[in-house]
Amino acid sequence: MSAIETIPAAGFTQDGLYQDAAATYGPALERLARAYEADPDIRRDLLQDIHVALWRSFESFDGRCSVRTWMYRVAHNIGASHVLRQRRSKSQALVGLEELENLPDAGSGQQAADRSHALDRLLNLIQLLKPLDRHVILSYLEGLDAASIGEITGLSPGNVATKIHRIKAMLARQFQQGGSEQ
Amino acid sequence: MTDDQVTDDAKPTDPNNQAQQIWQSQPVEDIKMSADVIRQRAGRFERKISRRNLRESITSLLVIVVFCYFFATAPGILFRVTWTLFIAGMIWIIIQLRLKGTPKTMPAAMGNSSSVEFFRAELERQRDLVKSVWLWYLAPMVPGYFALNLACIVISPRPPRWGSLALIDLIFVAVFLGVWMLNQRAARCLQRTIDELNAS
Repeated sequence: MSAIETIPAAGFTQDGLYQDAAATYGPALERLARAYEADPDIRRDLLQDIHVALWRSFESFDGRCSVRTWMYRVAHNIGASHVLRQRRSKSQALVGLEELENLPDAGSGQQAADRSHALDRLLNLIQLLKPLDRHVILSYLEGLDAASIGEITGLSPGNVATKIHRIKAMLARQFQQGGSEQ
Repeated sequence: MTDDQVTDDAKPTDPNNQAQQIWQSQPVEDIKMSADVIRQRAGRFERKISRRNLRESITSLLVIVVFCYFFATAPGILFRVTWTLFIAGMIWIIIQLRLKGTPKTMPAAMGNSSSVEFFRAELERQRDLVKSVWLWYLAPMVPGYFALNLACIVISPRPPRWGSLALIDLIFVAVFLGVWMLNQRAARCLQRTIDELNAS
């Protein structure tokens, strides 16, 4: 069991759990909020909502899963709720990973080599995805392994593997050219 | 809690993966919120919900008060029955909106639910709400409307204008059908998403 999978002992306070999680995962939460909302002002609100939900959730944290799994579940579920609400008001059509594979490649190699451009393109791709696929790609980009992604999302190991395979192929197609020219 | 209990092990699993590196090295503001600030914001959020509920209650109450006025000034028993039915229908809709309209998922439940479970539950709740719209939103107004038609024909002091009455009925039916069909379409869309989720 890795350090991150360790279940905290009983007796930790709600504030203590939140502060530790926020200190450790604060940057990951910011990246996650960026993937769920493009508008900076709304994103700031979303991020604060995630922090509030996380703090409130720790009131009933029972240690049945790791803090990391708990934190990602709460954060992604708030993000998914946000996407569902925004989808109703913006009539935005979201796609699955399968459909994303058919998108055109990243422009020229020079363009793709530009890091900021690459990040923008990556964000644009992520924001097109349906919540569950968005969750998987974000977890993959954060470096989580397939087993952790399965535990957080509830997807079967085979399904996670298929989705990661698609993500890798899509990312390679979108970024390989730029990467090779850097 | 020791540091390593929540240590972020989110390092690139594949160091050569450019996308993971780009993603993880993006600049962040590193926003910090103290527990006190969180508490204040949570309090603000709860007050916002309370205010919204209060606003909805006042609006519903105003509609009921208007219906009560019509009831009090109604010229005959049939009109009184009509407005009683409308009032009962309104109360039923308000109760159903309160019971079904608000997501029940609290942050604690979010931590215990995987994304698939959470997403499916939310989609199913929305699907059931729109699919049964005729039952809790449209049907409660129908008895009152029929009674109003009957009252207009039977005890109205002036002779009924059949053309106007038919036109109003037609608009009423068209609006009801439109609302019902839009909601059925929304329910089908939600069901497709649920089916996709079940297949995953």
